[in-house]
Amino acid sequence: MNNERFFDLAMKVIAHQAADVERAELDAMLGSQPELRAEFARLEKDARVAKDALPMMDAMEATAGEFPAYARERLQTKVRQTLGRPAAKQEPDRSVAWGRRWILGLTVATAVVLFVALPIFRAPDGPAIQVAMLDTVGTIRGADTNETGILKQQWKNSSFQSFDKTGPLENWETNWPEGNKVTAKVVYDRASGEVRVSLHGLEKPRQRTFVIERDLAATLQEANAFIQEQTKH
Amino acid sequence: MNPPDLHALKLGDETAWNAAFDWLWPTVFAVAQLKLQPFLPDEVEDIAIEALEELVDNVRSVNSVEQLKPLVASIAHNRAVSLLRNRFAKKRGAGKTESLDLPADDRKAKEEPAPEDSPLDSLAKKELAARLQKSLVELKPPQGEILSDFFLQGLRYEEIAKKRGLAVGSVGVYLKRGLEAMRRIWERDENS
Repeated sequence: MNNERFFDLAMKVIAHQAADVERAELDAMLGSQPELRAEFARLEKDARVAKDALPMMDAMEATAGEFPAYARERLQTKVRQTLGRPAAKQEPDRSVAWGRRWILGLTVATAVVLFVALPIFRAPDGPAIQVAMLDTVGTIRGADTNETGILKQQWKNSSFQSFDKTGPLENWETNWPEGNKVTAKVVYDRASGEVRVSLHGLEKPRQRTFVIERDLAATLQEANAFIQEQTKH
Repeated sequence: MNPPDLHALKLGDETAWNAAFDWLWPTVFAVAQLKLQPFLPDEVEDIAIEALEELVDNVRSVNSVEQLKPLVASIAHNRAVSLLRNRFAKKRGAGKTESLDLPADDRKAKEEPAPEDSPLDSLAKKELAARLQKSLVELKPPQGEILSDFFLQGLRYEEIAKKRGLAVGSVGVYLKRGLEAMRRIWERDENS
C-alpha cells in the first residue's frame, strides 16, 4: 500500500478537490483494502475538528475591532461586584451581627431549647465527606503521591477517589447517597488549581470554590472550615 | 497591545481590566461572530460582552495570562452554541403541537436549516480552552497555516506550495503531521 498516495487522495476527496479519476482510485483502494475504510473515517473526523478548531485558533490571533465604549461601565461594575471586596472580609461582620442577636435572645432561646427541643432531638452526626482528585493533564511523579497524601491527611476517615477524565468525575459529583444524611463532596482540580466543595442534605444545596493561592494544605483547611461552618447545628 | 497583568486582574484593578477588555475584545468578538453571524448576527456583540462578564467570574481560577484568550474564546463559543440551540428549539416549537395550517412564512421559518453540531460543542469551557491553548502551542509552523490554507481557504496542493514556497510533495507531509497533532490534542479524552 502506498500510504502517502492514500492520504493525499483521501484529503482531496474530503476537501471536495478530487477529480473523477482520483476518486475512482481511492474507491479502488478502499475496495481492495477494507482496513483503510476506518482510517478514511478517522481522517474525515480529523478534518471536521480542524475545520471547527482552526477558526477559533485564528480568532485568538485577531487584533481588529474596538471594544464598545457603552459596555465598559457595565463590565467595570461587574468587576467591582465580583472582585472588588475579598469575600473573606465579609464573614466576621456577619458573625458579629449574629452574635449580637444571639446574646439578645439568649435567655428565651436557652429556655426553649432545654424545655422543648433537647428531649426530642439528638445531636446529629457530622457530615460524611467524600474526596476526589481530578488530574487530566498527567502528574509529575511524586507530586501526585504528595498531594494525595495531603488530601487524605485532611479528611482521614473519608473515601478518596482519583479521576483522570471529567466525565466520570461529573457522575461522581452528582451521585449523592440516599437519605437525609448531610454529605460534602470535595474535588481537587489540579489543572485549574482549585478545590470545589458541594454540600448535600442541607436545607439548600451549597457549593463553593476555593482557589489555591498559597498551597494545597492551606486551601483544604479553608474548605474544611467552610464545611464545618455550613453543617454546624 | 500587551497582555494585562493577571495579578492585578485578580485583585479587581480597574486599569488592568480596562486593558484586558481592549486586549480580549477582538478574540471574543471574532469567536461569537464565527458561530452567530450566519444565523443571529444581532446577538454577536451581546454574547461577546456576556463572555467577558463570565471571565470576570472565572479569573481567579486562571493560572497564567496565556490562558485568558483560550478561556474567554471557549466561554463565547459555548454561550453562542447555547443561544443557537435555544433559538432553533423555540423556532421548531419544542414541546408544542403545531397546526398543519400554519401561514407559509411560519412554515418557512421552521424549515430553516439549523447550524450543524460541531465536535467542539460538547466540550466544557475549561476543556475547550485547554485544548485550544495546546493546539496553539503544539501546531508547529507551517502546519497550522497549511491546514488553514487547505481546509478553510480551499486551496489545492499546488496553490499552497506556491504560496508557502514549498515543494508540492511537502504539502501532504505537513498536512498529515498537522492533522496528527490535532488528533492527539482533540481526541485525547474522547471517551470521557
